[in-house]
Amino acid sequence: MRRLARSTAIILGCAVFALPLVFMVLGAIRTPGLPPPDGFEWIPDPVRWANFRSVFGFIPLWDFVVNSLIVVTIAVPLTVLVGSWAGFAIVSSGPRLRTALLAGSFLALVMPATSLWIPRFVGFRWLGLTDTLVPLIAPALMATTPFYVLLFALVYARIPKALFEAAALEGLTPFAAWRRVAFPLGRGATFAVAVLAFIWHWSNFVDPLIYISTEERATVPLALRALQTLEPTNHPLLMAAAIIATVPPVVAFLLVQRTFFTRALEV
Amino acid sequence: MRTPIACLAAVLLVVAGCSNETTGAERGTPGDPSAITLQVSGEREETAAYRAIVQAYENDHAGSDVELVQVAEKDDHLTKLATSFAAGDPPDVFLVNFREYSQFVARGAVQPIGDLLEERGVDLGDYYEAPVEAFSLSGELQCMPQNVSSLVTYYNVDLFQRAGVDEPRAGWTWEEFRATAEALTRGDVRGVGIEPSIIRVAPFVWSNGGDIVDDLDEPTRFTLEMPAARQAVEFVVRMAHDELIPTEREIGAQDLETRFVTGKLGMLLSSRRDTPAFREVRGLNWDVGPLPVSREQVGILHSDAYCISTGTNVEAAADFVAFAAGEQGQTLAALAGRTVPSLRSVSSSGAFLDPTQPPRNAQVFLDAVSTLRRTPVIPTWPEIEDVAEEYLTRAFYDTSYTVDRFIEELNAATAPLFAEGAEQLP
Repeated sequence: MRRLARSTAIILGCAVFALPLVFMVLGAIRTPGLPPPDGFEWIPDPVRWANFRSVFGFIPLWDFVVNSLIVVTIAVPLTVLVGSWAGFAIVSSGPRLRTALLAGSFLALVMPATSLWIPRFVGFRWLGLTDTLVPLIAPALMATTPFYVLLFALVYARIPKALFEAAALEGLTPFAAWRRVAFPLGRGATFAVAVLAFIWHWSNFVDPLIYISTEERATVPLALRALQTLEPTNHPLLMAAAIIATVPPVVAFLLVQRTFFTRALEV
Repeated sequence: MRTPIACLAAVLLVVAGCSNETTGAERGTPGDPSAITLQVSGEREETAAYRAIVQAYENDHAGSDVELVQVAEKDDHLTKLATSFAAGDPPDVFLVNFREYSQFVARGAVQPIGDLLEERGVDLGDYYEAPVEAFSLSGELQCMPQNVSSLVTYYNVDLFQRAGVDEPRAGWTWEEFRATAEALTRGDVRGVGIEPSIIRVAPFVWSNGGDIVDDLDEPTRFTLEMPAARQAVEFVVRMAHDELIPTEREIGAQDLETRFVTGKLGMLLSSRRDTPAFREVRGLNWDVGPLPVSREQVGILHSDAYCISTGTNVEAAADFVAFAAGEQGQTLAALAGRTVPSLRSVSSSGAFLDPTQPPRNAQVFLDAVSTLRRTPVIPTWPEIEDVAEEYLTRAFYDTSYTVDRFIEELNAATAPLFAEGAEQLP
């Protein structure tokens, strides 16, 4: 009886979260040009799968997807690597330095992003890198956000000190200690940061808006924004593009979730 | 572990290298006097028109090179402009509404355009006066207007026939307007859509003989408490309270444009900007009519202009603007349906008055031109509009919020913004 109640609760919870997805799919298979549905419409008549093809003809969506994929392919591993190193550095430093590093990270975390727009733009312009993908990837060199660094630090801090002391006695360098002890044991954080960083970079809108001016170098969020300005009768195309844009993060999550849920909780 | 890092670094460099190469090739060599950038915002149909203009210009002018930067939403357009100006790398030419351009003039970011165009043989006498006047500050034309849109009454012909009411005609009165809205309001259909914004209420105030501010050039406050203005505000607000205008909940579910295209709105007060969208809707039978009149027929100016950034490629930019705002450029823009041309000859041509495309009464936009008035152009005006919208929204949808309280609170909230705007005025 209790199990039944539990399953019902889970199914209901899932249904609530699935609703926006359902609306997105139903919206994507309506025929463009017709007045938007009056009230709620279950299955559009006729169902028009061709929207998924025609949206590519409407805007160069494929270019946008490729650019976004380039960004995440480089930025996500880089974020994980830098975040993990920085987190390990915080945990392995002496008490004074650690406090300073933690305080610095928190300070960077609460800094409003808008205050950095102009200085960063000036910097990248000086380097001649505006209107390239580099400014979109560059935050990964700083682990994208200090939050990921703190997440790694938190997880590594829970690894028993004795393990690192043993590693030091074995003559392992700090880098080897990170590679052979901290990184494998903190896998949960790695997966969490990878997924979060993927979503962060995939849906980053402001940076491409500011840095990218040529359409061939634009990323997916700019494409969705452009489609958003379509009149309501053409919103099926926006919905179709939204589904296409949702696929990569979902695939990325599915790829890591099995590992995440089986191993992450061991730490 | 060393190999993957080396790989990452290599990939990063390659990406940087590739994109740099293409940037260089497309923009022309740095310092190339004929290469310029043009930043515009708008829907795809609208930006398609700018792409056509750029194409035509490049074909016409050997060796010229215009890079078009399209930003979808107007707010994003302004964000990108503000960032690039602050960073010292603005586009050479950008398109902006007259209600927003003075903040750029105040910052010294705009190169006055009048003399540059005169050197290129542009005669401002060929253009409608209202937009040219709106874009003139300190006795100089700052930016070159490309259109002269205004507020009109879009209406659903089928709903009018069903309700058995006459279509809007020149000189129709406020009483007729209200009676028409009442007749159209039936079931889930509402009579008229009016946004709770100062630019929608202003033509009513003017038509009734009132004013929205104390001084158009150096405004210090709203003057909605004056009897004629107050009466106009009361007239519009009462239509909202009597639910002849969609309620706040209804608008939350579907915005005014969507309600109009789904046949749930008899009339909609809007500018030319809705025309391309309504043309796309199959089975929607619509047209445009003039605004209703209390004492005199008054419309409100909506206009965008090409501005040239100071310190950039001014000469090449001026060549482009002269072309884009000229006959060929404006014809291309008019064909896309979005603009009412500011050049008289194009506005009376088939490119604008195309009889095969709705609205049949496109002439209404041109008839309105001689009746146009405008809002002030002080740099803080966009913020003042935002604040006014907040209070007007409450006045429209909260029946316990009296017009007097609305006026009093609006004045208190906007006084500092008027003062700040006066200081920044060039």
